[in-house]
Amino acid sequence: MTVSLPPSLLATLPGRFYTDPSIFAVEQERVFESMWFAVARSSDLATPGRFETADVGRESVLIVRGRDGRLRAFLNVCRHRGAKLCVEPAGETKRQLQCPYHAWTYGLDGKLVAAPNLTKMPDIDRVEYGLIPVHLREWLGYAWVCLAGDPPSFEDTVVGAARARLGDAEMINHWEVDTLDVGRRIVYDVKANWKLIIENFMECYHCATIHPELTEVLPEFADGYAAQYYVGHGAAFAEEAQGFTVDGSEGFDRIGGVGEEQDRKYYAITVNPQVFINLVPDHVIFHRMFPRSADRTVVVCDWLYTKEVVAGGKDVSRSVELFHRVNRQDFDACERCQPAMSSRAYAKGGVLVPSEHHIAAFHDWLTAKLA
Amino acid sequence: MIPVCALADIRPGEAVRVDGDPPISVFNVDGELYAIDDTCTHQDASLADGWLEGCLIECPLHASCFDLRTGQPTGPPAKVPVRTHEVVVQDGHVYVLAVAVPVTT
Repeated sequence: MTVSLPPSLLATLPGRFYTDPSIFAVEQERVFESMWFAVARSSDLATPGRFETADVGRESVLIVRGRDGRLRAFLNVCRHRGAKLCVEPAGETKRQLQCPYHAWTYGLDGKLVAAPNLTKMPDIDRVEYGLIPVHLREWLGYAWVCLAGDPPSFEDTVVGAARARLGDAEMINHWEVDTLDVGRRIVYDVKANWKLIIENFMECYHCATIHPELTEVLPEFADGYAAQYYVGHGAAFAEEAQGFTVDGSEGFDRIGGVGEEQDRKYYAITVNPQVFINLVPDHVIFHRMFPRSADRTVVVCDWLYTKEVVAGGKDVSRSVELFHRVNRQDFDACERCQPAMSSRAYAKGGVLVPSEHHIAAFHDWLTAKLA
Repeated sequence: MIPVCALADIRPGEAVRVDGDPPISVFNVDGELYAIDDTCTHQDASLADGWLEGCLIECPLHASCFDLRTGQPTGPPAKVPVRTHEVVVQDGHVYVLAVAVPVTT
């Protein structure tokens, strides 16, 4: 099916890509269960026994810090009769993980430690019948997991996304993201397909219309070209803006490694399939998306600041408020689109204007994954 | 005497289990050795797989603790004590003098 479009326009995906549960199921398998997925902030799991559970694709994953200080991830399923091991989203266990059904008991390293009558079954190998491990890497202070047996290269697919956007693999290290503390976390339950949220994040054609506060601080956004349109481009703050705040008031000191050349600039990165990172001199905004269904996505947004700012109890509300408003404006727009995705008017999809043409690369990437 | 292992093979904070009828475990509490029946009296679980804190061993299944010196449980769900046994160290080897199993009819 070829649709003839004027050269200014490129086609979006057809509407059913945003509504069809069978397409969402394939995305779960080929995208979210196959790629690296940022699940947890490592500092939320600071001490041995602290755990979190998260849905990644169609699986529940358990992330826990071991007695040796290492973070590990496992499928959150008892090997005995398949009960979900941990039902809480987060918590702390003293020294072991125990299935509430028959008390099969696992160490924090996943090994089967004990079970009723286990000593009468010496042929049960405690590693073989331990929890099933999931690949885990830590980067930027987050635990990234991959459910694939043979994960794609972390350097290429995750670190590479930051390199491709910033034009340099080292540059993101200037923000020392792994050392920052969470100053604020807001969880948004968005009634929209995850791709609408990614597409929205990638373009700024909408900025002048729905983001008055953001375009006040980043005037070039009113022209409709997002920072993501370019490589290595930081959007400059308005001359009158003292900081990246809702009212342009002063922010905090630059993060240690951020130099003059990155001062008073805003950088944005999408790490497919579910992470957005915004970098400004004094803080980092880190979004993790957790797709729940074809028409629902939970977005967890962390505002990260230096330890001095967070431990010092400094008022982060003005910088939080700026991007919180941007998030609400964006998610409202995505929720406005979602019901229309099943309209006859959108059966063949919509169009991308030139300042959105880079979104076609995301669509090409996705359709190749699903093919 | 039941041979257990070389003295060096039971490190402080750890236990060595001797399979038998019933199985017995020897615990090393900061250099002091204690032997008890290995099976929790509440449900069949190996106390050697449990968690040692001081002279208390916590069952890995339902967290009943037993005092290694007396065999007494400190709280539910276990109600019946485990038997304690004398430990002998000879020439760097550990042995247990097992108490005879009471005849049950």
